[in-house]
Amino acid sequence: MSVPISQMWAVASYVLKQKLRGRKRYPLVLMLEPLFRCNLTCAGCGKIQYPAQILKNNLSVEACLSAVEECGAPVVSIPGGEPLMYPQIAELVDALVKRKKYVYLCTNAILLKEKLEAGVFTPSRYLTFSIHMDGLREEHDEAVCRDGIYDKAVEGIKEALTRGFRVTTNSTLFDGANPLRMREFFDEMMKLGVEGMMLSPGYSYSKAPDQEHFLRRSKTHDLFSTMLSEPRQHWRFNQSPLFLQFLMGKRDYECTPWGNPTYNIFGWQRPCYLLQEGYAGSFRELMEDTRWERYGRKSGNEKCQDCMVHCGYEATAVDETFSSWKGFRDTVVATLTGKL
Amino acid sequence: MTFEGWVPVLGEHLTLAEVIDFAFDFRGNVTVLRVDGTEVEGYIFNRNRDVREPFIQMFDLPGNGPFTIPYAEIRNVKFTGKDMAAGNSWQAWLERREKEKKGTP
Repeated sequence: MSVPISQMWAVASYVLKQKLRGRKRYPLVLMLEPLFRCNLTCAGCGKIQYPAQILKNNLSVEACLSAVEECGAPVVSIPGGEPLMYPQIAELVDALVKRKKYVYLCTNAILLKEKLEAGVFTPSRYLTFSIHMDGLREEHDEAVCRDGIYDKAVEGIKEALTRGFRVTTNSTLFDGANPLRMREFFDEMMKLGVEGMMLSPGYSYSKAPDQEHFLRRSKTHDLFSTMLSEPRQHWRFNQSPLFLQFLMGKRDYECTPWGNPTYNIFGWQRPCYLLQEGYAGSFRELMEDTRWERYGRKSGNEKCQDCMVHCGYEATAVDETFSSWKGFRDTVVATLTGKL
Repeated sequence: MTFEGWVPVLGEHLTLAEVIDFAFDFRGNVTVLRVDGTEVEGYIFNRNRDVREPFIQMFDLPGNGPFTIPYAEIRNVKFTGKDMAAGNSWQAWLERREKEKKGTP
């Protein structure tokens, strides 16, 4: 695993503090969406299908920072939309880094090289570019519905690495993904020099154009166990090893929908990053008034039955690490040995 | 299936609350007809029925908002805008790509 010690420490001390305070529900990663605009229209994405006046809208930096303070999570992920299209992205990232938040800027990297050459960002241990890469050239370009984007992303990765930035990849996998090709992809990304990779099965957004290729639970287990069995020594994953074991079917978890709360121009999204069942006016209202018992597998909610996405389950895995000696030991062993 | 263009007829089998639920799920602009005879066109992004005075929240066409309108002030909702989630763009892209590979226009 590849998360730097300082970041591990920040997350560990935060989680332990929450436990000592007896806080049953706490956020781990804030999903901050300053805009919904994107320069791609990926088949599996259900985030960008809005009328023009909504797509033109942006959160102000002040609103973003206020949400960050309100939420208190140690990690802030900036997806979207495409965050590099957000006019105040430099100002926002600077302010988050000053607050010592670990920022994952999730980008398709189309604009990355240009922004880096313009000196928009400064390298920091708190800032990571998390590049959307759904596989090797053919698979990635197919997933994002445009040829040439894989090459563009590789160009952005190289530029960021050369300039001393932290770079990870994030890959969403759908039905039909070839585990052997994905293993080649892991080799390729490690060869490029990224710090680590993040994986997740896709979620069946009701608004996504491609509804046929979302993974069901048993298929997810098959795909991830084939893909991650006998992991190569040089592979590095920038996520909880227990979450990867969950994807492989080695662990059974329940969803933690409040683990990655989402804030965007509409407010605090209920109940999670994926489902959009309404909005709360404040983080407190989200946590206190959302009927959490309606979500997760045990609830019987149909929309949750096949979901194994990181935003619901990685927080569960991290919580397990700090809830029992076994969880802690298993995490340490997998981290040190690289075995899943 | 899309609700684009739908003008609901409220009655015994279709309540205002149901229409608002459909409008909330619709990824396009709608026209909210108020009880006082005025109209507002825009995007409904939120609705809450679990409170004492149920309400919707929306941005209007120029993007101003959010505005909050209580259910009690709404007469009906017309699905007047384009459904931005309709269509099968992924399939269309695959077909276009295949044609390009084969060199056919």
